[in-house]
Amino acid sequence: MIDVYKNIAPKGDLMLLRRLGDALRSRSFLHVNSTREGGGVAEILHRMIPILRELGIDARWEVIEGDARFFDITKKIHNGLQGNEEIITDQMWEYHGEVNRRNAEKLNLKADAVLIHDPQPAALVNFRKKGIWMWRCHIDVSGPKMAVWNALKRHCEKFDAAVFSVAKFARAMPVEEFIIPPSIDPVSDKNRDLSDSEIRDAAERFGIPRDRPVLLQVSRFDRFKDPIGVIKAYRMVKKYNDCVLVLAGSPASDDPEGEAVLNEVKEYASDDRDIFILLLPPFSDKDINALQRMATVVLQKSLKEGFGLTVAEAMWKEKPVLGGAVGGIPLQIVHGVTGFLVHSSEGAAFRIRQLLNNPDMAKRMGERGKEYIRNNFLITRQARDYLAVWYAMENKGRKVLEL
Amino acid sequence: MPKAFEFKQCVTILKSTGKKAKNLRELKDVLAVVSDGAIAHHTFQYFLKGHILEYTNDFAHWAGESIEERSLAERLSNIDPYDYAAVQDLRGDLTRAIDDYLTQFPEPRDALPGDEFYFNETVILVFPAGVRAKNLAEFLMAMKYTEGSTLYYHFYDARARLGNKADDFSQWLEEGLEKPEVARRIRAIDPFMHNLESIRERIVEAVEKEVKRDMESAGVPQ
Repeated sequence: MIDVYKNIAPKGDLMLLRRLGDALRSRSFLHVNSTREGGGVAEILHRMIPILRELGIDARWEVIEGDARFFDITKKIHNGLQGNEEIITDQMWEYHGEVNRRNAEKLNLKADAVLIHDPQPAALVNFRKKGIWMWRCHIDVSGPKMAVWNALKRHCEKFDAAVFSVAKFARAMPVEEFIIPPSIDPVSDKNRDLSDSEIRDAAERFGIPRDRPVLLQVSRFDRFKDPIGVIKAYRMVKKYNDCVLVLAGSPASDDPEGEAVLNEVKEYASDDRDIFILLLPPFSDKDINALQRMATVVLQKSLKEGFGLTVAEAMWKEKPVLGGAVGGIPLQIVHGVTGFLVHSSEGAAFRIRQLLNNPDMAKRMGERGKEYIRNNFLITRQARDYLAVWYAMENKGRKVLEL
Repeated sequence: MPKAFEFKQCVTILKSTGKKAKNLRELKDVLAVVSDGAIAHHTFQYFLKGHILEYTNDFAHWAGESIEERSLAERLSNIDPYDYAAVQDLRGDLTRAIDDYLTQFPEPRDALPGDEFYFNETVILVFPAGVRAKNLAEFLMAMKYTEGSTLYYHFYDARARLGNKADDFSQWLEEGLEKPEVARRIRAIDPFMHNLESIRERIVEAVEKEVKRDMESAGVPQ
């Protein structure tokens, strides 16, 4: 398994992974989250557990079970942590704790290191047996509704450490706090190399002409992804450079506004035959890969964003990327080096024109972008970081660790 | 037989201190109390990030880019962390630069939400890169292909470890291989004016010159 990353990931990451594997050999490492399928966390765990096992670590992945009421509560918690108005009653918190207690009875929580992903299973910490317990928070909790945060914090403070994706997503707590950005898997269907015929086939199926530059944004139809702003930028570009625009995304089934936004986008696109609005079903990874590979410029013009890993995906395919300067996007786009950070539709249009008129610059940015992702955002780096944090917690207080 | 040069690599794991600043007054207040490790991270480790724009540390970068206080950014960029024997003294000069600026311009602007200065620190993991050099030719070959974090560890981190503005490469070349001229050339590279790749190019260039000279003096036809 690790061998498939041999000529892809930086050699140093693989060497350190093996050294950490030797240092932690035969020790147990438990991950717990709330879903086996769907979402970025499950996607990465599917790939990471085998890597950890191959290193000689006794890695396990458990999933908590809950009913609709539980997941309705955890969705409210999730929204409240992201700053949305939510009322979570004491009874709801009690039920959250009760479901966690029932899971704690069923699951084997004994491990040398335990990584609990997100708020759903956070209360398992009250039933900790042994080992180092770490809370892995994948969401931005920098501006939460304080009542929601304060209630969750009671659990979070019982961990030995917390891990956030970006420093600005974190909240100060009296525990050690580490920063580990998420990652992409370069050999998954979404990111692996595709042949020209695979890309051509996708273009034909979607009816996308390839005789002109292709602008692409892959994201769900959500106002925070600013699809209307992307169309505005495309129209400004179109006055000077002929091109086509592809907006590809899945319908946001858990977002009641999703359909309304999609209709707005369709209406705004009107009868422009060069705008392609693609509704992709779940598990369209290979198609997304092909769309990213056929694009000339990729946009992620978000107004609000989590980490925004679609940026890393496009950069991995050597595409220049324009992104809104929000969430984790500025961590991926080094402005002027691997892409451009933009703050308006006008800014996006200007940068697209720059790139379309300077293919050499676009190529150079794409190449630098791929190297930047190789060095910073591959799954091997994330696996390395998880083990490094565990190792650092076992050597608490030391700033330099020689392996 | 001189001792072989063992190339090492380092990886940093970022830790949040939980402290942040949205303007210069807050930056100054947190600078006064934040850990030495955080100050070291935002100054010494700036070069590990790879993309050097026009600044030499995170404080200058933030002052220039996020709150657009350009003249302060220039002054902060001119502070050389390797000039200080103790982080405490470096902290003092950084604070003084901000204080002076605030006396001249007492109403600095706030950064946009999300663009505040976040104080972080690191844990560093050091491990062998699996490459050793016993002579100049092997050293040259390794320099061409070694990873950026190896360059950082031996060229930048060494300055803080050795405390004498030297780096591991020039020290070994001078003491191990008795090559003072190439060591001098490497020491003459301004660490603040290059990114890691450009440091590599300059070291390779200096070593290549020395190899060529060795070959010429040995009468090896080229």
